[in-house]
Amino acid sequence: MSLDPDLYESMRLELRRGSLVLAVLACLRTERYGYTLRQALAADGLEMEESTLYPLLRRLESQGLLNSEWREEEKRKKRFYVLSPGGVSMLAALTDEWRGINASLDKIL
Amino acid sequence: MDMIDRYLNAVAAQLPQDERADIVAELRDLILSRFEAKEEELGRPLTEDEQEAILREIGHPLVVAARYRKGPDSLVGPELFPYWLFGVKAGLLVLLAVQAIGLFIHLISGPEDSGRAIAQAFHGFFGSGLTLIGAATLAAAIFEHYDIRPKWLTQWRVKDLSAFGLSDPAAWGASVAGAQTARRTWRLRPAKAWPGAEYAFSFIVLGMFSLWWVGLLHFPGLTHVRLLGAEATVTPAPIWSILFAPILIYALIQMSVDLNSLVRPHAVRLRAVARLGIAVGGLWLTWAIYQAGHWFTLTGRDGETARVAGNGITLDVEALRTLGDGARDLVGVADTLSVVMVWALAISAISLVFSVFANLWRMARG
Repeated sequence: MSLDPDLYESMRLELRRGSLVLAVLACLRTERYGYTLRQALAADGLEMEESTLYPLLRRLESQGLLNSEWREEEKRKKRFYVLSPGGVSMLAALTDEWRGINASLDKIL
Repeated sequence: MDMIDRYLNAVAAQLPQDERADIVAELRDLILSRFEAKEEELGRPLTEDEQEAILREIGHPLVVAARYRKGPDSLVGPELFPYWLFGVKAGLLVLLAVQAIGLFIHLISGPEDSGRAIAQAFHGFFGSGLTLIGAATLAAAIFEHYDIRPKWLTQWRVKDLSAFGLSDPAAWGASVAGAQTARRTWRLRPAKAWPGAEYAFSFIVLGMFSLWWVGLLHFPGLTHVRLLGAEATVTPAPIWSILFAPILIYALIQMSVDLNSLVRPHAVRLRAVARLGIAVGGLWLTWAIYQAGHWFTLTGRDGETARVAGNGITLDVEALRTLGDGARDLVGVADTLSVVMVWALAISAISLVFSVFANLWRMARG
């Protein structure tokens, strides 16, 4: 039976959605601004739309998981994000959870 | 104004004032970074078309701004949607039944203009149906926006679920036809009925009445009656204009009490106090309507008029017994309606007095 491409795309996006927060938190162990963060994620195989990434950064900051600051670089002001202490703890907890899920799925699959 | 400014202005207009400058500055940096990366890749400045293509990739201003919105992304979220769908389905079925009964009465009372009657019934059903869907969506949006989750949404009990079969007409049909399984599953058991059903029903009915009262909902056939094949117009007496606001306020207060009863079903004493006030208000309204003495005027096609009025009618059981024996002309029908109206007001007053005593007793008992 052939794979329904629309259904596959919708399920693939659903599968990825939850993991994106973890990926963003992990990438922001190093300070980055939005554009370079998106490039870093894409380089590791996680393409993310700007219209999703930038609001997500603001949400994570409002939840106390990120710190941000406006700074001038390459003659333009850019907003740099980095994990807050709360973000570091959250990343550690989510990483454990992710590894647990991964190990369970490996057994099932 | 260049293309980036036009794009960012469109985004900014959708954003909250306090975050606007910050978000726009960040988006401007993103767009310029994307432009620079593309120019570096091509080794030349971008054309306007290429710039526009990048802006399209970033997203339509409405979509981009919507992602920054706090609060719910939809008017009816996935958690409330099943309740919304049930309410809409059940409400539409009630409206369909009301219109079908109205149409049936219209068709059997005279063969003329049956096409127009059917068209009016369709018009009435679709108009009131759309109003119902709009009202249900508005209610759900308020629940979503303020994150309201009444107890009856979260702490439901299996024994109270029988009423939910009412939105399935197939179950009605099976039950009426005598299918034992359907009867067992969907038959309403008054002793164990969902306690919120009374308040929900009252809320829906009063909501529909209020919409009709303010002119947002139309029930064709209410202002015209047929007498011996001729059409008569029903004109409300001045008392209804005088009491327009009190009756609307009375209905809205009762709706708010019903809603509060749904949200806080265990606030017995509070509900009793509110219902006591409503019953007293209802008694005053009933008395004011009775005192007016004139309620409707029937006007025939030839201009003849007859009043539906008190005219010294007393609560005479004999008059009630001979109700159907009156003349079938305009005056006869008006007299019959007058007797019906006096009795309806009397029954309303008695039930309201009963409600006063019942709620006094509930208040005392707690």
